[in-house]
Amino acid sequence: MKLLISLKVNGQTHDLAIAPHHTLLGVLREEVGLTGTKRGCDDGDCGTCTVLIDGNPITSCMLLAVDAQEKEITTIEGLAVNGQLHPVQQAFIDHGGLQCGFCTPGVILTAKYLLEQDPAPTDEQIRLGLAGNLCRCTGYVLILEAISASRDGKMQKAEATR
Amino acid sequence: MTTELKVVGKSLPRVDAYAKVTGQAEFTMDVNLPGMLYGKILRSPHPHARIKNIDTSEAEKLNGVLGVITGKDTKDMRYAFVDTPRYPADQYPLAQDKVRYIGDEVAAVAAVNPETAQAALDLIKVEYEILPAVFDPYEAMKPDAPTIHDAEIQGDSIWEEWGAEKTKKSDANEKVNNVSGRTVITYGDPDKAFAESHHIREDRFETAATAHCALEPHAAVAHYDPAGQMHLWLSGMGIYYKRYVLSKVLEMPTSQVRLHKVYIGGAFGGKMDVYPYEICAALLSKKTGRPVKIELTRGEVFTTTRLRFPTYIDIKTGVSKDGKILSQHIRTVVNNGGYRGTGPVVIYLFHGWTAPVYRVKNMRYEGISVWTNIPVGGPQRGHGAPQIRFAIDSQLDMIAEDIGMDPAEMMLKNVRKIGETLPNGDVLNSCGLIDCVTQAVELSDWKEKRGAPGSDRTERKNGSIVRGVGISTTTMISGAPYYPFASAGIVKLHDDGAATLISGVVEMGQGAETTLSQIVAEELGISLDDVRIVAGDTEQSPIDMGSFLSGGATVTGAAIRLAAADAKRQLLEVASERLDAMVEELDISDGIVCVRDRPDRCMSIGDVVNYSVKKTGDPIIGHGSRKILSGTSRYPSLAKGTGRWTDAYGFNAQVAEVEVDTETGQVKLVRATTFHDCGTPLNPQIVAGQVHGCVSTGQGQALMEEIVYDDGRVLNPTFQDYRLPITLDTPETAGTEVESFEPAGPFGAKEVGEGVVAQTLAAIANAVYDAVGVRITTLPITPQKVLAALENQKKPPKNNK
Repeated sequence: MKLLISLKVNGQTHDLAIAPHHTLLGVLREEVGLTGTKRGCDDGDCGTCTVLIDGNPITSCMLLAVDAQEKEITTIEGLAVNGQLHPVQQAFIDHGGLQCGFCTPGVILTAKYLLEQDPAPTDEQIRLGLAGNLCRCTGYVLILEAISASRDGKMQKAEATR
Repeated sequence: MTTELKVVGKSLPRVDAYAKVTGQAEFTMDVNLPGMLYGKILRSPHPHARIKNIDTSEAEKLNGVLGVITGKDTKDMRYAFVDTPRYPADQYPLAQDKVRYIGDEVAAVAAVNPETAQAALDLIKVEYEILPAVFDPYEAMKPDAPTIHDAEIQGDSIWEEWGAEKTKKSDANEKVNNVSGRTVITYGDPDKAFAESHHIREDRFETAATAHCALEPHAAVAHYDPAGQMHLWLSGMGIYYKRYVLSKVLEMPTSQVRLHKVYIGGAFGGKMDVYPYEICAALLSKKTGRPVKIELTRGEVFTTTRLRFPTYIDIKTGVSKDGKILSQHIRTVVNNGGYRGTGPVVIYLFHGWTAPVYRVKNMRYEGISVWTNIPVGGPQRGHGAPQIRFAIDSQLDMIAEDIGMDPAEMMLKNVRKIGETLPNGDVLNSCGLIDCVTQAVELSDWKEKRGAPGSDRTERKNGSIVRGVGISTTTMISGAPYYPFASAGIVKLHDDGAATLISGVVEMGQGAETTLSQIVAEELGISLDDVRIVAGDTEQSPIDMGSFLSGGATVTGAAIRLAAADAKRQLLEVASERLDAMVEELDISDGIVCVRDRPDRCMSIGDVVNYSVKKTGDPIIGHGSRKILSGTSRYPSLAKGTGRWTDAYGFNAQVAEVEVDTETGQVKLVRATTFHDCGTPLNPQIVAGQVHGCVSTGQGQALMEEIVYDDGRVLNPTFQDYRLPITLDTPETAGTEVESFEPAGPFGAKEVGEGVVAQTLAAIANAVYDAVGVRITTLPITPQKVLAALENQKKPPKNNK
């Protein structure tokens, strides 16, 4: 039996008929059609399925879609505005903070959250903030560099001029 | 070489970056087709069992199930990556008579959703006769051990089709129980050289099974269209190799099997082979007439998509008084798992990663791969190099201490130089090993940190923390002969002066789409923004070697440079007529063709293309190709190590600095100073990214990564229980590429993405020894092992070696 739910994703409301046990990850990918959110382990371990719920990063494979109602869900597809990249997205391009791109959506959303919480995190705080996002390609070096380059209010400044 | 490069050698942004930061990049799991079904695989719960009966009737009756297949549907589909006259393929997409490891494929279903497919698997009744199993390679070789592949495999191999001589079945598999491959290589006179040695050491090393951990789990989408073409979207590393094997297995003409472009979410060797789930997706699509998607779970990825071969290595080395390696006897035994995978390849490669680094004139090498009932081994970033380099350079460190020499100095006495010829005939036309070692030593403050041989280390202690440094070196090929043995490229010009590169390359994170586009831009004299790439689709792209064997830069890169040069040649011919000048007098820069030193006689590339179309209709399309080892027709022998196998080798050296906590046994990699010889770096930022990734993987495999088995069952198939490096583990990284130019590669480029992983293991192990004086010879170097060794160290007085 299907359940009727309503999800607000990237500012748009979607009315959906879903199986009650489906996770937010599955519904985003298979029902809403937003495949930028990746399924890396389906177990809450890898961080590739990270989305922002009311601004907070959460592994969407660990949340039932029914419990994501009445919240603002932001996926990687929701970051660019009018074809203009979010400054963190741009920083990852400029600093080569991506390779295969599979962990990238989750990493970028986590980085955005981190820099919103604290515009000037220390190196250690950045490392700690990203500790839940696995990446096998980059060894994290250029990911950390891309985030460092966006701190000290640089992300906010760039966002204001977007 | 003489003209300044404008695009190649620059850290330009990746051409796939926009798609990847916005979530638009499409991976296999993102492919959704109308009417698509979901497939799942039933796997063996037993390490070794005979299948007596499979009853699928209940599963077939379940509402929503559209197709069920078993071994009966894959009867004539014997295949494998290694399929030579000596080693005929030993695997079927679905088990025939027996299952040989926990996870072996038994049946597959397609249903309207994943839940129904899972429910159907639970309804399939398999009657097994459980057989005794064996998990240790030495046990497996005993005559009374259960024989895992009992029936002698008959029939032709695919290498015969590629021109390999049909030989009589070798005795390699017959004498010893469960031996799946054997390599014996000898040169010089090892016994005589041992007799002349000043000092001889014999040591044993062991390495663990490790997982690739690409973040994208393996997936396949198959759509058999009624017109007779099989459309596939696969998590792969080489579209032409996969197409070939799939066409053979499915008994379809090669061009009727089409691999579509998808981005690959990391591979590291784990997506090279053709896997049963891919064949099952195709068979189920053919059977149901609907598209079928199979996504492996993370647990399936950990157990059924190959692991790094657990390896036992015995090395005997004889050196002269001044530290020259005179003789070496290396014996390796790999645990192959239930099927060959690349077992016979890796035992050949162990020697392959030995010969190019140190000049050892007298060598006896013996490698054996052994079937057991653990999950199957396969290629993994470095394919054998991490294991053998760990052993060789750990032992070099030990020997250096024995003879009172600095290990870096001992390396410099033995490393090969440019111009040397290897025992198999490969020539080092570029080799920056000396520079790699020298510069790593210098930048890492090696001499200061290491101190003189035998110097006191107690001063370095800071509470319970002790620092130490270690060094290691390694090498990697730049492509090797494997189907289709060549790459080709097409460059077509547009009437606005832009170009489109068409290549069969697969982008899996290594940056090939970017670096190959840079080659085209450089050759044509246009900007990277004016190059677009169409890649990774067998219907659209010409053949490609695939993104394994590390031939991307050297082989595919050279083909693509030739394609761009061909387009340029045609372009200049047309321009010469229009500008009334000889071709030799023309230059292209920033998209403009000019008569040299005559800025008044110029036209844009777009105008030349326009003129060409108007005049003759020719829009200007260039093509180029490069065969691996052009000029040689023989294939290297896996069993004897004879025959050339690459055009160029990359080299690296690394100094690792670690902190060992003597209270907890924890080892932390603090700093990795890596210098590498990749020839000309096509894109330094991408090169740096490859090096960082390799260091991280090497760090994980040195310190924490290990697949743990219990009677053939993987006990830790999750990221929770299989720990790989996270951001908090990231070391400080230093070092860069050394000056080098590889004549075989485009603009002097060669391999970089694979080799670096290998030397991190010994560098760390040697650094741990330097710090606290304990020698860990069994990877990974866990806190338990370090603590136990420290405890042991306290007991008796130190043994004199």
